[in-house]
Amino acid sequence: MGEPWQGGGSPSHIQPVRPMPHFDRRTILRGIGGALSLPLLESMTSAGEAASAPPTRFLVVGNPFGAHPKHFFPKDFGKDFTISSTLKSLEWLKDRMTVISRTDHGMISGHGREISFLSGVLPSEAQAYAEKNMSLDQLFARHIGSQVRYDSVGASLEAGIRMSWTANGVEKLPISDPQELFDHLFLNLTPEEKKTRRNLLLRNGSILDTVGSRFTSLAGTSSNSDRGRLDQFQTSVRELEVSLQERTTWLERDKPKFDISRYMQGDSTIEDRYDAIFDMIAYAFQTDLTRVASVEFPAELNYTSIDGVNRSYHGCTHNGKQENVTSELVRIESFQVSRLSRALKQLDSIQEPGGEGSLLDHTIVLFGSGMGYGGTHSNRNLPILVAGGGFQHRGHVDASDSSGKSMPLCNLYVTLMQRFGIERDKFNTSSGSFDLQFS
Amino acid sequence: MQKHLASTISTVLLAILPCLKSSGDEVEHKTLKEFCAGCHVGDEPEGEFSLLDLGESADEDSLELWMASLERVEAEEMPPEDGIQLTEEEREELIDFLNEKIDEYEPPAEEAARPQVVRRMNNREFANSIADVLLIEDIGTHLPAADLIGDSLHHGFDTHAATLGFSKFHLEQYVEAVRKIVDATILTGDRPDSKRYLIRPTNILGATTSQNTKRPARPGRRDGFDFLDPRSLAYFDDFETTPTTGWYSIKIECVGLDRGRYDEEWTGIYDADPIRLQVIMGDRKRLFDLPDKETTEIELDEWLAAGTRFRLKHPTDGLRLQGNGNFKFQNRITAFYYKKYEPQRYKELAKTFTKKRGDGRQRQTDDWHNWVDYWQGPRPRILSAVVEGPIYKSWPPKRQIALLGEEPTIDGASSILRPIAERAWRRSISEEELKPFVELVQLRKELGEIEALKEGIVAVLISPEFLLLNQPELTPEQRFASKFSYLLASSTPPRELNESITDGELDSFEEIRNEVQAQFQSGKADAFLRAFPFAWLELNDINFMAPDPDYFKHYHRKLVSDDMVEEVLRFFRHAAKENLPLPELLSSDYSFINADLAKIYGIEDGPKSSTFERYAFADRRRGGLLGMGAFLTSTADSLGTSPIHRAVYVMENFLGIHPKPPPADVEISEPDVRQAKTIKEILEAHRSDKSCASCHQGIDPYGYAFENFGPDGSWRDAYTVRDSSDAKNAPANRRGRAAEIPIDASAAFASGENYRGIIEFREIMNSAARQRLFVRCFVEKLLTYANGEEPKVSDYAEIEKLVDISNEHDYRIIETIAAVIDSPLFR
Repeated sequence: MGEPWQGGGSPSHIQPVRPMPHFDRRTILRGIGGALSLPLLESMTSAGEAASAPPTRFLVVGNPFGAHPKHFFPKDFGKDFTISSTLKSLEWLKDRMTVISRTDHGMISGHGREISFLSGVLPSEAQAYAEKNMSLDQLFARHIGSQVRYDSVGASLEAGIRMSWTANGVEKLPISDPQELFDHLFLNLTPEEKKTRRNLLLRNGSILDTVGSRFTSLAGTSSNSDRGRLDQFQTSVRELEVSLQERTTWLERDKPKFDISRYMQGDSTIEDRYDAIFDMIAYAFQTDLTRVASVEFPAELNYTSIDGVNRSYHGCTHNGKQENVTSELVRIESFQVSRLSRALKQLDSIQEPGGEGSLLDHTIVLFGSGMGYGGTHSNRNLPILVAGGGFQHRGHVDASDSSGKSMPLCNLYVTLMQRFGIERDKFNTSSGSFDLQFS
Repeated sequence: MQKHLASTISTVLLAILPCLKSSGDEVEHKTLKEFCAGCHVGDEPEGEFSLLDLGESADEDSLELWMASLERVEAEEMPPEDGIQLTEEEREELIDFLNEKIDEYEPPAEEAARPQVVRRMNNREFANSIADVLLIEDIGTHLPAADLIGDSLHHGFDTHAATLGFSKFHLEQYVEAVRKIVDATILTGDRPDSKRYLIRPTNILGATTSQNTKRPARPGRRDGFDFLDPRSLAYFDDFETTPTTGWYSIKIECVGLDRGRYDEEWTGIYDADPIRLQVIMGDRKRLFDLPDKETTEIELDEWLAAGTRFRLKHPTDGLRLQGNGNFKFQNRITAFYYKKYEPQRYKELAKTFTKKRGDGRQRQTDDWHNWVDYWQGPRPRILSAVVEGPIYKSWPPKRQIALLGEEPTIDGASSILRPIAERAWRRSISEEELKPFVELVQLRKELGEIEALKEGIVAVLISPEFLLLNQPELTPEQRFASKFSYLLASSTPPRELNESITDGELDSFEEIRNEVQAQFQSGKADAFLRAFPFAWLELNDINFMAPDPDYFKHYHRKLVSDDMVEEVLRFFRHAAKENLPLPELLSSDYSFINADLAKIYGIEDGPKSSTFERYAFADRRRGGLLGMGAFLTSTADSLGTSPIHRAVYVMENFLGIHPKPPPADVEISEPDVRQAKTIKEILEAHRSDKSCASCHQGIDPYGYAFENFGPDGSWRDAYTVRDSSDAKNAPANRRGRAAEIPIDASAAFASGENYRGIIEFREIMNSAARQRLFVRCFVEKLLTYANGEEPKVSDYAEIEKLVDISNEHDYRIIETIAAVIDSPLFR
């Protein structure tokens, strides 16, 4: 079976949009393994820089209902822990991951608080923080800025789980259809389309010029209580203006080529579609289209194509401890982990372009949820797993302190931020950092 | 930070304020000392609430505590049953005292000024407003707003200012959506030629509903295209998407076939239901009843945008009862039919079935595969169709002339843009303000006169003056017109409304009252009649935790949640148009139901079709919101029920009491449907913990009454214990019948009021005190919807006045709404 990606062409050569020819995967691996050719890398930073310091990337995978604790958390601790049933598919990665028990955001029980997964802050408390409830992925995205074509990419199927939030405290929605994700990441425009797009960007730019000042004058006349909200509007105009300018620049460059048709043949299951999403992200990492990606497993998705699952995801979490319903839940959770596992294998099979080790060694991977376990509506003991990223991993760790208090999850985020190259020692509710060395 | 009324009561008794300025260690108020000091003083006061925290009278810090105290006393929860017994006069004395103290609170100047909250319009309002500004029926059939970022809800409300965020993603999607709408409204270039499409049944295709996109669509036969799978959308092969924007004339010759041939228990389609055909053009949908067996021609004249996907559908919630609900399994019904009504034919056909299964064995006669060719289920059939278009009675089209005038030019930009901008910005506009937009049009003159003008229109509709409601630049009259219109119509104010407000015609309560009534009757307020109850009662969440599909098949197979939502909306609409007293909403003895709901409600003499009818419940268990499936289902788990969820819903949405969520360190045990303990026994154990009890004694009695209603809202006399050891292997219909435990739906309030079940509970909810709470809750919810934020603590006195006005009018809906609109809290 051929691999989904194909060799990179020269960017100066403008390709027709589709269909694209199939390439053998070996072609591309040879291309990467040998002298890395300039065109493969997308980023605006020069290839020389890329060769000297490979970028660090971030992949976060989340779900809205946490995990059935008995099946998620390994029974024993330490580097030599026994893999748990939900994490079974990650056994191959056991030495290069850390499962963290006893960490949370200190939230009370109930739905709706899982949206604080990547910040530790609820929208309703966001005003108290300088970066509002900005999520970790968006913090990383802001750090990367326009060095790459897309500062971040969020993907899911059907719906999102409200995981990504901007510095303005506004939700960033994932792209919830693989075809749309493909178009967004890889679809190249014809010269004619580019011209139209260029004109449109120009026209939209002028419209923003016309209305932008109005947002500013408005803020001047408003009362205190509204000013925060009006800030949002002003920021939006500014950010969109910058974004349009950047896009005009990127418009001239061709995107890397990629083929997802094999996932879309015949009955495409959610397994196929998640694999397509993860493969696109792996390739986007490889070609430096982006360095920050998030993937969500929503509540609304129909998981019944998984063997042995008949109920809704949410319904399964409230299983009333019935074994048959609980086992459906564990199947859904294992499914999520298995798609992640496959994606990590993929990342691990790719040599870091211009660097040591595999892509996985340069990609911080975080799996988890802002909810502990849906069955009890508990937001304690969140299921958290870190893999890759070149960390000296620690197996299964109990993160609670000597008095038995759980660790703020933001401590882990401080560690991940530092690994990502952000010099900070505090993030929202953190009280320190999590001990995870990297070389 | 503003303190909101909603959070007030949430702090109820557990709020421990840092030592406030109190007058020494003595409680000085005689009234309080007499009635409350027995428990609420000392080092460990009951409920962690000490009278000393109240201070001399209500100030900024203690106001919430005063209010909470009042709530508890009014609800007759305090003093508790085992405490001092108050006479009616004493209770009134205590209430008057508390009210007096609360009235002494003077809000800081800024709050007193009641600034209007500026907020982004939501997507619903965006679509309505643009259509009204551009003088078109809707934003178009090409789904121009489909990519807008969905609005998040705040406790069900889609008008909540702080929740309606704004980002570059929003702004970018607005630009795109507005462009698409304007492009499909204002046409440039030469008049396109019209074309006539003659559609034969063989050119009609039924799309596959399988995820397999490679499976070919099913064409009609020569004698007609029959709709089989109701989930499948059909389309005309030659007219799959509309090629050019303009008017289209569509004539479809069709007939309804075989209504009532198959038993309704098999199909899930009631014999009395007409066969219908639905025409779907983006968000615009048209529904036609087809007469039986008699060919009819349906005619549509529609303005269709280029790119519109023109689709047809057999709209029914039936044909999902067999197998897992997929249509192929419904073919079994044909076997049932022949076996029952034409047994001879059944035998003959059975002999002809030779197809073998994959493993070589003969299929069962009733296997669905055998019957695919013999389907005679209720269905629409299309015999032929003619599509003609685009048709223009004039060029440019009339709608364009209405918007831009006969011969629009860049030089005339100012006079063309002004009326559009005035409608969009909901106010008059000076030449100076319009200048940047005129300049933008001039800047883009290379695009041609009309295209350049379109740039100006797009900019007008991307301006904050359009996208943001309640701006400070509006005059009080303009703002009132705008708020009035967005409250009732979710759109920009029409000119007549602006004029009548400027002329002072809506200055008085009476005038407002008449206008509201007129708008309810004329259909102008339909947006409100739907959106407000939907938000208030959090109907969006109905399937957040749907009943389990294995145990509650009817609920899922007949899409009953749609009926439940419809029941609420119909009931509210009825009450509003008839101007009923508000408390009737809660506990009248009737509702509007159809046969699907009758089945859940266990009613045998009710409606026999999908059509909703008014039905009075003789057993007094149902009627009004308290008995509706929407409330009972959305507050239940999928396998069990939770009195606490239901209690919290009743308190928050019907009584305006906001219980505090459990403290963060509480570990809640997971419900276990296998155990032979009732939820009540579990909760009683929970309440023996003193820290839990102080809140739960106030909460739980609002929920136990509903225990006779199962997760799907149906009546039950006993709990069924689900035995999962048996469930694993047993067939679905025989799972978990291990044991039944009788239900105890009785409870007592702290006040001593008690009930034995739902009927008595409904009487308690109908007491004068609770009727008043319900009306106050309605007023607060209405203010939340209308103002984009919850009322503040400092609005309390004003809200009480509104409830008084409402009371003077028997709590009637229209007068209550009019009082709110006329109040300084809204104006």
